[in-house]
Amino acid sequence: MHEPRIPTEPIIIIGAGHAGVSVAAGLRSQGWDGGVLLVDADGRLPYERPPLSKDLLKPGSAEQVTPLRRAGYYQERCIETVLGLDIRQIDVENRSVTLSDGSVRAYHRLVIATGSTARALRIPGGDLPGVQTLKTFDDAARLRTQLTPGARVVIVGAGYIGLEVAAAAAALDCDVTVLEFQDRVMSRVTSEPVSRFFEQHHENHGVRFVFGAAVTAVEGDERAERVLTADGGSYPADVVIAGIGVVPNQQLAEAAGLECNDGILVDQHGRTSHPEVYAAGDVTRFTSPFDGSSLRLECIQNAQAQADSIVHHIVEKPRKDPDIPWFWTVQHGVRLQTAGVRHPDDDAIVRGNVEDKKFSVVYLRNGKLSAVDTIDSLKDFMAAKRLIGAALDPVLVSAPGTSLAEAAI
Amino acid sequence: MSTKQINVVDREGQQHVVEWSADQSLMEVLRDNDFPILASCGGTASCATCHVFLEKEAFPSSGDRSEDELELLVETDTYIENQSRLSCQLGFDSSGEGATVTIAPE
Repeated sequence: MHEPRIPTEPIIIIGAGHAGVSVAAGLRSQGWDGGVLLVDADGRLPYERPPLSKDLLKPGSAEQVTPLRRAGYYQERCIETVLGLDIRQIDVENRSVTLSDGSVRAYHRLVIATGSTARALRIPGGDLPGVQTLKTFDDAARLRTQLTPGARVVIVGAGYIGLEVAAAAAALDCDVTVLEFQDRVMSRVTSEPVSRFFEQHHENHGVRFVFGAAVTAVEGDERAERVLTADGGSYPADVVIAGIGVVPNQQLAEAAGLECNDGILVDQHGRTSHPEVYAAGDVTRFTSPFDGSSLRLECIQNAQAQADSIVHHIVEKPRKDPDIPWFWTVQHGVRLQTAGVRHPDDDAIVRGNVEDKKFSVVYLRNGKLSAVDTIDSLKDFMAAKRLIGAALDPVLVSAPGTSLAEAAI
Repeated sequence: MSTKQINVVDREGQQHVVEWSADQSLMEVLRDNDFPILASCGGTASCATCHVFLEKEAFPSSGDRSEDELELLVETDTYIENQSRLSCQLGFDSSGEGATVTIAPE
């Protein structure tokens, strides 16, 4: 019997978010004996991102964030870490990367888990001090110091991040205005009943919304003082936060000749167009195994599932089927959890009573469950995760006292 | 920082002694020791992928379960009323030295 060859070069992982750390930890758990090198431009011990826009901004919150693994973890498992240095270049022909200090490291396999960057406000004045985005611990820590009582906070974009920041700012007694181009909140990710519920919920906590707002400029002498809209509106601001989505950090991959199209293209094993290079997490675009659509999914579930696929492909072991994609947000103490990926033209059935602040919206595509939004209804969330793809009776779905499982045909 | 040792029974029934530091939740301890829990919500009681069973005797002193935690647990296939907890909701003081924690089946 021949001994498996342990390559001399390490597997290099670029990016130490959920995807990158899951690959590193997973390789060791699955018995990979070769080298593993984890590189990230952020100099901190790799940390959880979800709390940055949630608990970290709460009144009286401790200014610290949970690490993904404790400090000694990486060293104990012979995972080499380079934290605080960027990757300047990937050379797929020579299987090497160049770091920002000029050093060159060869790799056996490369995993790109560079994540995404918050989209900047590309309008006149969009780069003034006082205009910011929220993506990293430093962003959150800076924002926390600016959300002082009475501060005029103008948020551009009513997506998850914009609304989570709006809720935190309102709780800190700021004066909060949200400018949204669409006619309702979270229009990209949810249906009208859920949007209207959250709009009302925020307004009850003192948040103002302006819909149909096309933001044209930020003005101010030294720093942002007001935000202008196309209809002539002017909104005084001490702090401006852009929550207008993210862009995948694919520049390195693109420059290396890997196929990209608003995300690095990967297959079900996490492989890019180059057989020795993988990618995982927010930076990727892939074909949904559930409905064949082309997707970029910005969620932990996807980062972990893709990391798991890569690990199993590298160690040549079969893997379990990935979990259903799911998302969550908490705004003014109300929890919205979504399982599955909804299409705008899916049938939406409200389940429960919106006035009770505890209801779900069930989405059916050709009679089959495609997704569910649950508002403080985790029972439906858990049940729906198991039922995605199943045919449901639409009458039973909305019948009081009937569980989702009982609505299955 | 104060630490303690606990016993963790994995999904194959193997027992492991692991160390728990006072600044960690039990989920973080399990994750740091490579137990296969996903913890895909980062410890916010949103996903039930860090479900564990405590010993019956130790359960009452582990603290109250929030409404969210309970709803998630009840919907799992393996919920046990007087043993099930989400490990992300268990702080250092929730269990004593030498306690035994069993990782729930997936």
